[in-house]
Amino acid sequence: MTAPFQGKRVLDLSAFAKQKPHAIATAMASKILASLGAEVHRPLPPQGDPFDDWGPFLPDGQSALARFLLVGRTDSAAIAWQNDANFDAAIGDTACVMNIQARFRLRISVFGTGEDPPMTELGLLALSGVLDAVRAKDGTPYRLAGHQAAYAAGLAAFTTVAAGLRSRCVDLADVSLFDVNCWLNWKAAATVVLFGSAAAQRDREQRSDWRTMQARDGYVALVYMNKDWPALRDLIGDPRLLEPRFATQKSRGEHMQDLNMIMSEWFAQRTRSEITAAAQARRIPIGPVLSPSELLQNPQYKARRFMMPDGTPRIPILWDGVAEPWKTAEGALNG
Amino acid sequence: MADTAPLAGIRVIDLGWLTAGAASSTLLLDLGAEVIKIEGPGALDPFRDWTGADGGTDWWNRSPFYNFTNRGKRSVCLDLKDPRGQAVILRLLESADVLVENFRRGILDDFGLSPRLLREKFPRLIIASISSQGMDGPDRDMVSFGSTLEATGGLAALTGPSDGEALITGRNINYPDQVVCLFASGAIVSALARRDQTGEGAHLDLSQRELTSFLLGEELIAEAAGLASKRMANASVDDLEEMVVQQDGKWLACSINCEVPVRDGTALAASPEFNAGTAILHDPDGTPAKGIPFRFASRPLKILSGCAELGADNLDVLTKADLSLEEIAALQDNGILAKAPRRGPAR
Repeated sequence: MTAPFQGKRVLDLSAFAKQKPHAIATAMASKILASLGAEVHRPLPPQGDPFDDWGPFLPDGQSALARFLLVGRTDSAAIAWQNDANFDAAIGDTACVMNIQARFRLRISVFGTGEDPPMTELGLLALSGVLDAVRAKDGTPYRLAGHQAAYAAGLAAFTTVAAGLRSRCVDLADVSLFDVNCWLNWKAAATVVLFGSAAAQRDREQRSDWRTMQARDGYVALVYMNKDWPALRDLIGDPRLLEPRFATQKSRGEHMQDLNMIMSEWFAQRTRSEITAAAQARRIPIGPVLSPSELLQNPQYKARRFMMPDGTPRIPILWDGVAEPWKTAEGALNG
Repeated sequence: MADTAPLAGIRVIDLGWLTAGAASSTLLLDLGAEVIKIEGPGALDPFRDWTGADGGTDWWNRSPFYNFTNRGKRSVCLDLKDPRGQAVILRLLESADVLVENFRRGILDDFGLSPRLLREKFPRLIIASISSQGMDGPDRDMVSFGSTLEATGGLAALTGPSDGEALITGRNINYPDQVVCLFASGAIVSALARRDQTGEGAHLDLSQRELTSFLLGEELIAEAAGLASKRMANASVDDLEEMVVQQDGKWLACSINCEVPVRDGTALAASPEFNAGTAILHDPDGTPAKGIPFRFASRPLKILSGCAELGADNLDVLTKADLSLEEIAALQDNGILAKAPRRGPAR
């Protein structure tokens, strides 16, 4: 069975990127392309692989990040990649990519078209407003776990290079780490652009009605639309929720603190699975906050063979029900 | 001059709703595909409902977020619950390359459009099913919004203060709904690349929950090796000094060599980097529209057209699929083909 990018040669310059977000985004894009059959070459600088120094570290000292991102690369020690004009695509930061001959070149930068001030993933989340959306009860903003700022850019880079490989075009493309994160956070900016700052402020005051709630054994995500309110109210069954001040989304927003206090009692007395079962029976989209260790044992993930025994998740695409069907003749064994 | 866009000549039937489905199709449009969005007169994209809609107007054409997300697509309003509507979409799929859908599992089957049947009938078609859990498994029918999947996919457990609560992005971002677009569009392009070589279509099963967990791959590997993952507040595994601090009432994100403000939507929209960037662009009428997260040096970065009104392309699309004017008129008379919903705005 033929893989989508079988026969395509891709140069992954993640080990040469001067900044970490660029390196991680490049490696994510290349990982996915490698899984789709591209022959991905990843040369290393003389001083070694920077990914080896990035955590988390496994008991054997190996980087879990390197293990996750760098599987499926071709050993590139033997090829003179700098003078090789036969790459179909190259991905990396500006300095790397501009010196490479490849049909399709994708450069990852902070602000697009090569503008690259010093930047971290925390900085990207802050500047793009993503951090502002994730607030604890005391108002402190928190980063999304892991490498979301770079991985999201890596997904955009994957799509862009996939398009370049398919069309066989000669081109130079740009993915901006900042633009991608703003693109994820479009609603905050669009609210201001379309309705003005005052509307954005009102939106902000009402938005905390989606939150996590403490359950007896952890947290659940309390997520509901206006249409779900009657079902949620009846589920909790506290007569105070029938008061007129909780009748509309607007008035609930104005009395958010009281509302959450009343609801929190109900949640705190029940386990995550009790809450989830009761909510799902009423089609309210509440779900349990599950830890990575719980995910390793999760029945849904087991049924879909989503993770290998070492915790590595497969690429989340099934092709006619099969993961990477081109890898084995039987295909189905490769879930 | 021939259109040299990467997806020039590709036709997408878009049954995508809200962000996860609809914005995935928008990215295919941005790569050069023609996108035909199909909604039913009794089943509009829920994004068409918006606060402030006046029932006395064509409110369904005025939803700012709907129009923002769906700019540039053609619009057909066709009742897929009716067998006559189902017969029409089968005609449209004859000339389509891609079908994008993110209905609740089972809905497509109810329309007589099960992926299995479509694969048999249209072996070259790429069917992209974007769902919260995937096509099967014990949680298949669990109802979720994006932020539910942050919880069930492991992101929330690792996000937040180290001694406090787990956190989600919430209403404004619904993170899994956003990232899946960036990924699903690439998966579809890859399936087209494979079809170029083999002539075979595919049914792509894309689970947003799995993608959310995939984007924590190193944490899952570390956990499986016995290292307990935990919330680290604003520190990162490689820089425990990273933090967010409050100074003079404003939040600052501080890392080595990088100290930047935590922007809210207003500060973001006012910033020069944002305005020089690509996250929000404008349609030819000057209306703000969903931006494009990539640029090609050979192609101008612009939004080619604004949002079509509901059903604006009914006649043109059906005529090109070789339906006669009489057939089209009969569909209109019976309310199978429409230009307005059957209901008023949601309250």
